Amino acid sequence: MKKTFGALALLFLLGVLLVVASPSTGIKFGLGGSEWMKYRYTDQYYIDHGVGEVGGTNIVTDIVFDYRGYDTLGEATVLFTAIAGAVALLRPWRRDEDGE
Amino acid sequence: MGSDMGLIVKTTARATIPLIGIFGAYIVSHGHLTPGGGFQGGATIAGAGILFLIAFGFGEMKRRYDHHLYSALEGLGGLAFLGIAMLGMGVAFFYNTLWHSGPFFNGQPGTLLSAGYLPVMNLAVGLKVFAGLVSAMVAIAAYGRWKE
Repeated sequence: MKKTFGALALLFLLGVLLVVASPSTGIKFGLGGSEWMKYRYTDQYYIDHGVGEVGGTNIVTDIVFDYRGYDTLGEATVLFTAIAGAVALLRPWRRDEDGE
Repeated sequence: MGSDMGLIVKTTARATIPLIGIFGAYIVSHGHLTPGGGFQGGATIAGAGILFLIAFGFGEMKRRYDHHLYSALEGLGGLAFLGIAMLGMGVAFFYNTLWHSGPFFNGQPGTLLSAGYLPVMNLAVGLKVFAGLVSAMVAIAAYGRWKE
């Protein structure tokens, strides 16, 4: 009974989120005033202007390296930090040498 | 050593590692034209390195793997990425100045030498991802921390 109620509550929350996030019925937020749709949903803009503004015919690369360049920079930082952390955690510790 | 695999695996790895490397290099260098890019191509080439590690064992890998070289390669990739992003600083960070007014890499869209800094950035990111993933795998293999 408890489990069913939990699942129903989760389903209800999902439905509320779907309605709120939908562009036709949901709340409007972000930049742009009456043209908010143009600023929030930029996919058609990338498809139309990507080749002209960035030059690559692979639109995903255009977005990843130009429009969303900061995201790629952060991803590179995350990769570097992950490897530095892995090496720092895995390499022999002083405590290991003492114990054995 | 004893940590390497059998003859069949080693022969197959010898045949397929160059092909995987070539395919990864193709993904990286055509990242601005066809699906793929620096990260995917770098991961593919790192897959060749991991296949080498698994097939030939850690002893052989330790002989070929130079820690300082891979460290320098990863740093070079990251710094090249940042430096190319800095090129467009006259307008904005990450502005593709090579494509709009650059002396090279500004050919017809769809050709190999087009798209401004995208091919150079793909190379830098591919180098970084390859060096990073191979280093992570070697670190996991070198410091075996799972002793029963």
